[in-house]
Amino acid sequence: MSPHLHWSVLRPEITLLVGAILCMIFGVGRENALRKLVAPIGLITLLIAMLLSWAQATTPGSPEAPVGLLADSFAGYFGLIGAAVGALIFLVNWHLPVKGERGEFFGLILCSVAGLILTGRSDDLITLFLGLELTSVPTYVLIALSSNNLRAPESSSKYFFLGAMSAAIMVYGFSFIYGATGTTVIGGASSELGLKGYVLANGLSNPILLVGLVLSVGGLAFKLAAVPFHFYAADVYQGAASPVTGLLGFLPKAAGFAALIRLIVSTGASNDAVVFWTLWIICLATMTTGNVLALLQRNVKRILAYSSISHSGYMLIGVLVGPALVADGNLFNDGVAAVMFYLAVYGVMNLGAFAVLAYLIRRGESAEELSDLNGLWRAEPVAALALAVCVFSLMGFPPTAGFAGKVYVFSGAFSLSSAGPFAKPMIALAVLGVINAAIGAVYYLRIVAACYLDEEREPLDYVPSGTLRFAVTLCALITLAFGLWPRDLMRLSRQASSQIVVQATAEPPAEALVSLPETADPE
Amino acid sequence: MTELLGKWVLTIVIFAPLAWALILAFIPASAHSTIRRNAITGSLVTLVISLGMLLLYFQQKTGDGEQYLSQIGEFALVTQVPWLGEESGTLSAIDVSYKVGVDGISVWLVLLTTLLTPLVVWGSFSGIRERVKEYYALMLVLESGMIGVFCAMDLLLFYIFFEFTLVPMFLIIGIWGSSERRRAAVKFFIYTLAGSMLTFAGVLYIAFQAYFADGVFTFDLLKLYALAERGAIPVDIQKWLFLAMAAGFAIKVPLFPFHTWLPLAHTEAPAGGSVILAAVLLKLGTYGFLRISLPMLPDATEYFAHMMAVVAIIGIIYGALAAWIQKDLKKLVAYSSVSHLGFCILGMFSLEPAGLTGSVIYMLNHGLSTGALFFLVGMLYERYHTRRFADVSGLARKMPWLAFFLIFFALSSVALPGLNGFVGEFLVLVGTFTSSGRPSALGITYAAFAALGIILSAVYLLHLCGAVLFGPLKEPEHTPDTEHVKTVDLNFREIGVLAPIAALCLFLGVYPRPVLDNIQTSVDRQVLARIVEQPPLSNWDDRRVVEVDQPSALDSQLVAATEGGAR
Repeated sequence: MSPHLHWSVLRPEITLLVGAILCMIFGVGRENALRKLVAPIGLITLLIAMLLSWAQATTPGSPEAPVGLLADSFAGYFGLIGAAVGALIFLVNWHLPVKGERGEFFGLILCSVAGLILTGRSDDLITLFLGLELTSVPTYVLIALSSNNLRAPESSSKYFFLGAMSAAIMVYGFSFIYGATGTTVIGGASSELGLKGYVLANGLSNPILLVGLVLSVGGLAFKLAAVPFHFYAADVYQGAASPVTGLLGFLPKAAGFAALIRLIVSTGASNDAVVFWTLWIICLATMTTGNVLALLQRNVKRILAYSSISHSGYMLIGVLVGPALVADGNLFNDGVAAVMFYLAVYGVMNLGAFAVLAYLIRRGESAEELSDLNGLWRAEPVAALALAVCVFSLMGFPPTAGFAGKVYVFSGAFSLSSAGPFAKPMIALAVLGVINAAIGAVYYLRIVAACYLDEEREPLDYVPSGTLRFAVTLCALITLAFGLWPRDLMRLSRQASSQIVVQATAEPPAEALVSLPETADPE
Repeated sequence: MTELLGKWVLTIVIFAPLAWALILAFIPASAHSTIRRNAITGSLVTLVISLGMLLLYFQQKTGDGEQYLSQIGEFALVTQVPWLGEESGTLSAIDVSYKVGVDGISVWLVLLTTLLTPLVVWGSFSGIRERVKEYYALMLVLESGMIGVFCAMDLLLFYIFFEFTLVPMFLIIGIWGSSERRRAAVKFFIYTLAGSMLTFAGVLYIAFQAYFADGVFTFDLLKLYALAERGAIPVDIQKWLFLAMAAGFAIKVPLFPFHTWLPLAHTEAPAGGSVILAAVLLKLGTYGFLRISLPMLPDATEYFAHMMAVVAIIGIIYGALAAWIQKDLKKLVAYSSVSHLGFCILGMFSLEPAGLTGSVIYMLNHGLSTGALFFLVGMLYERYHTRRFADVSGLARKMPWLAFFLIFFALSSVALPGLNGFVGEFLVLVGTFTSSGRPSALGITYAAFAALGIILSAVYLLHLCGAVLFGPLKEPEHTPDTEHVKTVDLNFREIGVLAPIAALCLFLGVYPRPVLDNIQTSVDRQVLARIVEQPPLSNWDDRRVVEVDQPSALDSQLVAATEGGAR
């Protein structure tokens, strides 16, 4: 670690970890009153972390940032959306853990959010790995704690073993990178240091570096639930209780994308043909596999699991586009900003859908099958409407936030079309992407049809939790609000990604970057 | 005051039904009569506002106060509110806004929508007896969406409204439809969405063309038109864009190979849903071609004109033949829509003033007469619970009012001179006949084949009237069921629904001049001036002013033809 490390940079993470410790201490207290305090304490911690990150997200990165950790607005943005969606996750999970486990449960969620923020801040392979694992490890436990059902421990161990394997692959890749470059620093802040400096100076001609990067991408693909590491998603999502599944769709995915952007995009490695085509194939395969397999499902949780895979594919389009390449970058040609916007929106709409599932009980069990939703419109019009809003948003239907996200991601893909070696493949990817979105509409529509068109056959029950009801409504409202007024969130994500832009184009590009689309410039 | 009203009246027209739908949400679901009363009030209020909008549209002048915007074919009542436009330095290259306005093409389609919605609401009083609140709320939401499409002057806004109309229609078919409703609703939704996702890609790509050319990322229709006029979009890109746009619009219209969703959706939808679907929703496709594809992609339009015309003619003839052999009343009317909208597309791609004007008025006429035919089939169904020809015949003596209206609207649909259908069909054929001198000109062969469609339409529609109204009386057992409609023949409410449409059909058939003139100036200005090579601008302006003052060649052709037909 660098001697210049300012602890103050880590304020949001430290706040969250202190909160997590408090939660765990209060959780083992004998007094019922103390245990009841756990969730409010956690929520307050999240809100404080959100404010602290907000301050970081709206100020440009400090020039004298310590090596290894960054205090730029990119990190601030991930802190902001992590804590904000984390607060929603808290509300959705409020009722879930049994009395004796509240401390661990909420403490672990806080740890996981802290891990996400640390990942966004990492500028070093070691802190990056630390952040990713801090995000993932608590989720293994959370799945096991979430339900008494036998499937929960099964999916927890499945997730754990596969997660461990992918972490191993990733670390193996990191070791290759270290071997090639002789440093663990990624070097996002300057263009002379670390991996970035090495790539700018030498390109990716070193096969050892290339192997290292491809292995790291493979390891990260697990976090994103991207092909070929997507097999666990459906089983794990189904095994966990719905509120925790909503969390699984956001935290590891966001951390994975933060790491991918730091490692691949900000260093300029994604401009190399091998890395580009690797990601291109992963992206297409992820979209298509997710959507096609979702068509075959009758279980809503499995449908949403496969939809989660396909959404990773859409977001990978933004990663491929990379930061705005022309000097006057804007909302519509900045792929990184699009990914960051999409992540926040996806977190909310996906959580909203799972929250509605969590709210419904059929035959004494949490609702899972499509038929469990039948007649929802009559019994619970508000929940039905919220589910419809979230599902239409996942479909990418106007005027919801999902539509705004799709506009940004796909327009990014077209922005490369003026010139450059990747122009044609990116247009092809965008067209394949919209075709995929149309396939996706089929299974999303089944969910809406199940709750609006079919009459109920058995009575529905509800989880008697006011917080959950509130969270369901809130998720739907946020989804609508960012659809009607996406500007401010987009501006934040744009500011965050501008860090990546400055870094990627600060220096005259090496051979890998030579073919920037100069013609895209209006002059 | 007038200025302020002029600025916001369109916004009010767009969102008034939506606001009323929200009011409906707070009425208890069991208070059926209150809900019905509120729904009809809401839609009537919208109608009244939209009539006020028409007055304001005719009164708004250009900036220097010299000319009326409506007389030079410009957009009037324009409002613009920045949506994603940015003031800060790095983001100044973006111009996405809420921008609405109407010209002579869209203003009539808005009126068609606001006129038909109250009639549909009124006409559904007896047919919809379950989930009443949701039905009327969705109808009003749908109205908002449709008006929005016609008013949008921003491509992204257009797309948002265009897509949004799918949801209420999906639910209307899926909840209140007949036995196969679910399959029909899903097919309708998925089919249309699949096409419009490609349109979505095209919409984004077209905005990037503006960005590559001017450095401004914009969806503003006028700016994109200007781009096309400068020839800033390369021809091969235009071709791809045209195909992408056509994917969404052709399915919506529907053009021949993409029409398979339509008969199913029409048959399964409740009567009110069928009316709106045929009368307005299908027009979104033709309107999309006219507003987006033609003026924005002029070179591609000329390139594809023949292909589109061939597809349209196949649609005309295939639709007519398919309608002829149907055993189901609703399916017959549905296939007749396929046939009729072929005319609409044919006129559009003749790229002649007469053809284009005819195409726009054809949209209005088809909306009125086919909408009314769907109403009639619905009324028949409520009494006899069947839509099959084989089950009923000889109803004319028992139901004289129904017989009158059925024959009236069938004749209007067949394009009998003196009724509205004739005006559109005649102009479309004139446009097709007279187009010449360009590589994209269609000419006499196309017109001849299209004319075949007219004969066929007379065959199948008169077959419909004959089979249902005349011959020996035949009714299914236990019918007519008058539990909900009270009378065997049409009751007062049903006559009230049909009479205004009939009056309009007659009016547009006898005196289409005011509407036609207005449409024609806008078609010239907004569409034709951007496609076909025109004389130098000054001459062009003079010519248009003259046309406004004197009866145009178009009118005299029409007058002569009307008189000839009447004899």
